[in-house]
Amino acid sequence: MILATRNYLRFLWRCGRIAFVGDWRYYAWMAVLTAITLLGLNAYCKQLVHGLIVTGMSDEVSWGVYIANFTFLVGVAAAAVMMVIPVYIYKKEELHDLVIFGELLAVAAIIMCLAFVTVDLGRPDRFWHLIPGLGEMNFPASMLSWDVIVLNGYLLLNVHICGYLLYCRYQGWKPAKWFYIPFVFIAIVWAISIHTVTAFLYVGLGGRPFWNSAIVGPRFLASAFTAGPALIILALQIVRRVTAVPAGAGTTSSNGNLSPRMAVRRDATLKDMEMLAQHLPELASVPIVDRLSSLPGATVSEVDQGDVLLQQGTTDNDAFFVLSGRVVVKREEGGRVRITRTVGAGEQFGEISALTGTPRVATAIAQEPTRVLRMPADALRMLMRNPRMNDIIRSRMTERLMITDRGLLILRGIVQVSMLINVFLLLNEVFKEFYSGNLHVASSHYLFLGLHGYDGLVPWIWTAVAFNLTAMVLLVLPVSRSLRWLNVACVLSIVGIWIEKGMGLVIPGFIPTPLGAIVEYSPSLNETLICFGIWAFGLLCYTVFLRMAVPILQGRLTKANEDHPEFAESDTLLTTPAPRPPLAAVR
Amino acid sequence: MAALPPDSFHPDKTSDRAMTRRTFLRSTAALSGLTALAASLSPLRELGDFTSTEEFLQKYYKELNPDEMAKVLKRIERDVERQYGIRPHVRDLKPMDGVEFVYCLNLTRCIGCRKCVHACVAENNLSRSPEIQYIRVLKLPHGSLDVEKADHNYTTKQVPEKGFFYMPVQCQQCKNPPCVKVCPVNATWQESDGITVIDYDWCIGCRYCEAACPYWARRFNFAKPEVPKERVNPNMSYLGNRPRKQGVMEKCHFCIQRTRAGRYPACLEVCPVGARKFGNILDPESEVSYILREKRVFIQLKEEMGTSPRFFYYFEK
Repeated sequence: MILATRNYLRFLWRCGRIAFVGDWRYYAWMAVLTAITLLGLNAYCKQLVHGLIVTGMSDEVSWGVYIANFTFLVGVAAAAVMMVIPVYIYKKEELHDLVIFGELLAVAAIIMCLAFVTVDLGRPDRFWHLIPGLGEMNFPASMLSWDVIVLNGYLLLNVHICGYLLYCRYQGWKPAKWFYIPFVFIAIVWAISIHTVTAFLYVGLGGRPFWNSAIVGPRFLASAFTAGPALIILALQIVRRVTAVPAGAGTTSSNGNLSPRMAVRRDATLKDMEMLAQHLPELASVPIVDRLSSLPGATVSEVDQGDVLLQQGTTDNDAFFVLSGRVVVKREEGGRVRITRTVGAGEQFGEISALTGTPRVATAIAQEPTRVLRMPADALRMLMRNPRMNDIIRSRMTERLMITDRGLLILRGIVQVSMLINVFLLLNEVFKEFYSGNLHVASSHYLFLGLHGYDGLVPWIWTAVAFNLTAMVLLVLPVSRSLRWLNVACVLSIVGIWIEKGMGLVIPGFIPTPLGAIVEYSPSLNETLICFGIWAFGLLCYTVFLRMAVPILQGRLTKANEDHPEFAESDTLLTTPAPRPPLAAVR
Repeated sequence: MAALPPDSFHPDKTSDRAMTRRTFLRSTAALSGLTALAASLSPLRELGDFTSTEEFLQKYYKELNPDEMAKVLKRIERDVERQYGIRPHVRDLKPMDGVEFVYCLNLTRCIGCRKCVHACVAENNLSRSPEIQYIRVLKLPHGSLDVEKADHNYTTKQVPEKGFFYMPVQCQQCKNPPCVKVCPVNATWQESDGITVIDYDWCIGCRYCEAACPYWARRFNFAKPEVPKERVNPNMSYLGNRPRKQGVMEKCHFCIQRTRAGRYPACLEVCPVGARKFGNILDPESEVSYILREKRVFIQLKEEMGTSPRFFYYFEK
């Protein structure tokens, strides 16, 4: 127990440390985010002293850009689930590794949500009145108390799932299904609930006809499932970009020794198996007979640093286990090479192609003098008849960090459908409002056309409509199968939806007031600074989460290298090890 | 054997120099970070009497026992004295049994003079800067109750104007109040005499009630309220007109400090044309009972909301 706690603290300490290590790009990025966060904090301190009078809000428009951002970000958080559903329900393995990125984005988004609600409070010092047991929570009558519960619950769920999976990966354990799968399914339902509850916050107000419409809930979900995955598509590409080195730089596959000398290559013996079993305890449970029968055809090679063990695009049937040393697996896509992971003693590579007979998707290069056990697919299948071996090999196969274009295109499908539904629902709302022509149309009139000469939101909403429609057309056309156009569509839908359901939903609800007065709203400078501060803080959190998660997923930050932290930390921005002169060139 | 880095020929020298430089850079970064943090927090020095330990830890109104309540009232009196230099009389008046207050307003008589607005501001210690008023008088063209046709800011020298009528709107003290339902911390509730009150020391300032109110009756203290010392009304009640803090909600409470002590609300007393009537609906002999029984036309504002206001508008003819 004490040891377990110590291990866990050690893990947290190492994760914390790595957040402070990176190359100049990382430091520059973090410095900029910190500076903006501090500017926002400064603005918030002023607001705390002088009151919400420093915002653009008034008794007439009593919620503004804080609550608008809050609403948008609840949607982003909820949308992380759109990565989880395809993986766990439809078994889309392409997205498996990306789930953690999605959930970490959800965690960052919820943190931002909570910050936006807090800065909107007139008395943040009385937050404890909201804590059940300590304070006095009006549950279940108040939708806001529901929101407090579901948002914090969602935060805990995601922290648990991500944290557990990452810790298992760090320790080299196979995650216990009962300890996270149930939570995954709870989180799926919960994600729908956080956004529905947030919609109900508005829908439940009978005195505000603009919000008091049953379609707001479905609209919230549709727009969230557009903007959320769109944001994830962009985030993943950024992760992919910073974890890659340009083709042609020091560590590309072309710099490896294409024809390794394979200095020593001999048939494998039972002794090699035992050596492997030291690093791979599951192998010990395979009976000697089965181990023996998997030996024919297996060889052991000893290679030097820089030797290529297998080449992307080729086809053969062998899987590899590392007996000692370390191998780096790289993948070339779109002119860039990225390191997908490094493989240490006891771990395997190349088994997916071996088992499926598909071409190699990556190149494996020895990072130091390395000994590998090379095994034909049939022998591997033999070993995998043992349930424990099967489990460990399969779980490692799915835990890999690979951001493939195919994965991004699956997300594109989600964005596409959601955007169509979103635009359709918006049309429904607009028709109902304007065709019936009763007095309740005033807010919509203000939003789309202006009311009695007041038209502050008109240019905004038409920008949003134009962005959303353009994005929809782009997403429907095959042109968005190319990443460049997909990115354009994603940016357009994120901005369009931010306007439409942020300012475009919150502000018109207050204009005109229930007594018919028209007072317009625009955020003050101080208010805007606070918003920028919170966004910067959220990005800061997400960057730190990724900085910790990526090396763990790649197997560079593990329990195994606890005593050699340099390996995990010395690298540049997120993953790429500093290029070393290949020994082949020296030789 | 692990591969050595390329510069491993003079490991000691290099790493020594690297270490000093790194340490220097690190401490510089940490120091400038802390300085920036301190600088960004500096406005907090002006925070002043934002809250006190006593106020911060104060329990919810309904959970205070009489002793604790007495202490709280003493604390409020002390705070008021310190701030305004006068010793107030702060009470916690409870609702009376067998009483349910109702307001009736005669739209035929109202001339839109806004005397009620001013009396309310004076009686209830409402902030003069920024201005807070519980009553909003709407100027409407004859023949319409559509509030979107209302003029809120009429500044005519002479009232009433031909072709218009005037409708003062304040908290309608609904039987089914949307504001109470939405409050996440139960800081606002309906008392047995029908008055919806706010515990100013419990409100967290989320303004959800303000968004929920169909009558735009609630007001938020966006800044620290300012009341000139010489204008402070020292007759105060906990749930009524005691000075509010920055960042909390307030609204009309039927002058709880007067009406629960058997007096009329300030807005009624000042009305020069007798348009305002107030009383106990449970008493069949009261004036409001008579009006609701005998007058043929009366209006509950936005009746379709189902809020069932205790504020009735009626026409004489």
